[in-house]
Amino acid sequence: MNFEPAVWARDWMLEAAQWIALVVIVTGVTQTAFYIVQMAYAAFALSNRPPVPRSATLWRRYSDQSPTIAVIAPAYNEELTVVESVRSLLALHYPNFEVLLVNDGSKDQTLQRLIEAFALEPVGRYVDSSVPHAPIRGFYANPDLPRLLVIDKENGGKADALNAGINAARCSLFCAIDADSILEADALLRVVRPFIDDPDRTVAVGGTIRIANGCTIEAGRVTHVRLPTNFLALVQVMEYLRAFLMARLALGQMQALMVISGAFGLFSRQRVVEVGGYSHATVGEDMELIIKLHRHMRDLDLPYRVEFIAEPVCWTECPEDLGVLARQRSRWQRGALECFAKHKDMCFNPRYGRIGFIGFGQILLVDVIGPLIEALGYVLIPLLWALKLLALPWLLAFLAATFTFGIAISALTLILEELQLRRFPRARELAILAAVAVIENLGYRQLANIWRLKGWWQFIRGEQGWGAMTRKGFGPAPA
Amino acid sequence: MTQLVALWNISLLLCAVALLALAGILLARLVSESRTVRRTEERRRIVGFLMDGNQSPIPPPRGALEQDAAAKVTLELAELVRGPERTALLERAQQISIHRILMRQSVSRSAQQRLQAAEALAMFPKGRERVRQMLRDANPDVRLGAALALAQNQAAPPARELVRQLALGTRERSLLSASLMRDLADHDPASVEELLTDPATPPSTRLAALDALAASGRVEHAPLVAKMAGESAHDRDLLARIHHALGRIGHPSGHDAIHQGLANPAWEVRAAAAQAAGRTGLAPAAETLGGLLGDDHWWVRFRAAEALWRLGASGRAVLERVAREGQTPAREAAAVTLRERAA
Repeated sequence: MNFEPAVWARDWMLEAAQWIALVVIVTGVTQTAFYIVQMAYAAFALSNRPPVPRSATLWRRYSDQSPTIAVIAPAYNEELTVVESVRSLLALHYPNFEVLLVNDGSKDQTLQRLIEAFALEPVGRYVDSSVPHAPIRGFYANPDLPRLLVIDKENGGKADALNAGINAARCSLFCAIDADSILEADALLRVVRPFIDDPDRTVAVGGTIRIANGCTIEAGRVTHVRLPTNFLALVQVMEYLRAFLMARLALGQMQALMVISGAFGLFSRQRVVEVGGYSHATVGEDMELIIKLHRHMRDLDLPYRVEFIAEPVCWTECPEDLGVLARQRSRWQRGALECFAKHKDMCFNPRYGRIGFIGFGQILLVDVIGPLIEALGYVLIPLLWALKLLALPWLLAFLAATFTFGIAISALTLILEELQLRRFPRARELAILAAVAVIENLGYRQLANIWRLKGWWQFIRGEQGWGAMTRKGFGPAPA
Repeated sequence: MTQLVALWNISLLLCAVALLALAGILLARLVSESRTVRRTEERRRIVGFLMDGNQSPIPPPRGALEQDAAAKVTLELAELVRGPERTALLERAQQISIHRILMRQSVSRSAQQRLQAAEALAMFPKGRERVRQMLRDANPDVRLGAALALAQNQAAPPARELVRQLALGTRERSLLSASLMRDLADHDPASVEELLTDPATPPSTRLAALDALAASGRVEHAPLVAKMAGESAHDRDLLARIHHALGRIGHPSGHDAIHQGLANPAWEVRAAAAQAAGRTGLAPAAETLGGLLGDDHWWVRFRAAEALWRLGASGRAVLERVAREGQTPAREAAAVTLRERAA
C-alpha cells in the first residue's frame, strides 16, 4: 500500500505517530494474545474438569463428610427483598450449614421485617474478635430455625459486615454472598468440592455469577433461564460469560486467580482470619482478600490452592440504567487500581511466582494501563490517519486489536459455553448473544472505557465510597 | 507495513472462523432440540417398564441417545429405592440389557460417563468385576467413585488393596476416603482391622480406619487412637484430627491423651482436645478447661466454654465462677456462653 503523508508533516511527526500507534497496537494485541491463552486454558479446564454428578449423587456422597458452612449475607436497606432472600438461603441443599444474615445498620425496616417474618428473639452469641468491624448491636434467632442467625450491627459497609459474619461463624468454611443474589439450590454442594477433594490445601473457591435479569424467578429460585430484553443487561450477560467462563476459569486453572466475586465465594475461615479478614479501605475488597491470601500463603511457603468452579451458579441482578452501570464500572476500576497500588511490590516479584507474573501482569495489562492506552488509541489513531500522519495499515491493525479480535474472543466464549455447559435452553438465545458479541464492540466497549477512565480519575483523586446502586429487585415472572 | 496488514488479515480470519463455528453450533443446537423429544420419550418408556413389575419386556434401547437416556434414568431410579425394590428394579433393567450399555459407557472417553457407569454397574452383580477394573482408571475421581460404589454394594476388594490402588492418605487425600472406610468397616471390618497393623498404612488412613471401626461399634481398637496421639506429637494437623476422633469415639482410653492435648502448644490441638473433653464427658478436666477460657485463641476459649457446658453441673459451676471472678477474656467467654446456652 502506498502512503502519501501530509505535505506539512515533518519526519519527527510521522515517527511520533507511528510510535503512538505501535504502543496502542502492541498493548491491544498482547491483551488479545493473553485472552486467547486464557481461552485455551478455560477449554482445557472445562474438558478435563472432574466429573460433575447430579445433585442427588452429590448429596449421597457428601452427606457424611461435608464440612459445615456459614453462609454470610450482608444486607443494607433491603426491606423489600430480605425475607424472600433468607427463605431462599434456608432452602439450600446442603447437609450442614447456617445462614448469618448481617444487617449492616440499615436505615429502613430490614431488621424489623426479619424479626416479624421469622419470629426472631434477641439471643446471646459468643463471637470471635479476630477481624475488625463496627460494633454489633445484637443477635436474633429462633430456636425453631436453628440454621438462621441475624446479626444486627452499626453501619460499616460490605467488608465490615462480612467481617462481623466471619467473627460470628463457628465453622471452618464460610460462604460470602450478596443478600440480593440467588444461589442455585445445589450451589454449596458443588462449590465445596475442592475442600472435600483437597482439604489441606484449598483456601478459597469461587463460582460463576450469572445475570438473572429476564429470567423467571419463583420462590427465590431461577426456574427458567431467559435473556433480558434491556440492551445494557444483554451486553452484561456477554461480559459475565467472558469474565467467568473464560478469564476466571483459566486463571484458576493456572493457579493465578486474583479475584473471587464478593457475590459468591467459599473460603477457609482460618486463612481469612490470618490475613485480617476483608479490608475496609478499598472498594475492591473481594479482589484484595484473594491477593492477601496469595501473599500470606506464599510468605508461609505452604502449598495451597485458590480454585474456580464453573458449575455452581449464583444469579445476580445487573444494572439496566446507564448511570448506575457507569458508577458500578468506575468503582470496579477504582477497586482494581487500589489493590494493584497496595500490593505493587508483588508485581513481577519472583518471590510470588505466577501470582506476581501472571496475576499481576494481567491486572497491569488489563486494568492499569489497558483503559488509558485504549482511550489514547480511540482518539489519536483515527485522527492521525485522517491527518495523513499514519498509513492505512496502522489503522487496520488498530481495528484488529480493538474490534475484530474482540468479536472473535466473544464468539469463542459462546462456543465454549455451548459445548461445555449449555445453560441457555433455546437456540434463539444463543443467536441473540452472537449478535450482541458483535454489536457490543461498536459503541458499548468505548463507553465502558470512558467509565473505566472515570474510575482512574477517582483513584487519582483518592475518592472513596460506593455510590448509589439501585436495583429493581427480582420481580414477578415476565409474561 | 506487511506485518500490520497481516495482523488485520489474521484478525478477520479468526473472527470469520469463530463466527462460522458459532453458526455451526447454532445449527447443531436446532437439530438437537428435536433430540430432546426422543430422549424424553425414551425415558418415559424405560421408567414405565422399570416401575411396572407386570409389564412384559420391552425392546432394549437402540440408538446412542436412547441408550444414554436409559442408563441415566436407571441410575436415578435405583438411587431412590432400597432392598427388594432395588433388586427387582435391577433385574428388570437387566432384562433390557442396561448393564451392557453401562459396560460400554465404562470405557467412554468422558470421565463423567465412566463415573456414572461405575456407580450404576456396581449395583449389578454382573457388572462388579468391571468396576473393580475401574479402580485402575486414569481419572482419580472415577477411581474413588468406583471404590465408593463397590463398598456401598458390599463388593469392594480388601481395604489394604484399596489403600494401595487409590493411594489413600498419600496422593488421594479426599475426605470421601473416610466415607469409604466407614462403608468398608460396616461390611468387612476384618480387612479394615488389618490396616491398623500394616506399617505401610499412612497415619491419616489408619486414623480414618480407627474412626470407622469405632463408628461401627468396634471400640476395642479405641486405645490405638490414644497411642497414635502419643506418636504424632510432631504433626499438629494429624494430632488435632486424632483428638476430634477421640471425641467422636468417646472411649475412656482416650482420656489421658485428651488431658495432654489440653496443654499442647498448638492452638488447633488445644481446641480439638477441649471439644473432645466435652464430648466424652471428661469431668476431671473441668478446672483445666476453666483455665482455657482465658486462652489467647478464640477457638480454644469457645471450645472450652462449650465443653464446660456439656459437662453438666460441674462444668457450669466453673463457668459461673469464671463469669463472676475471672479476668478478661475468660470472664466474657464464660458469661456469654452461659447467657447463650441458657436461652
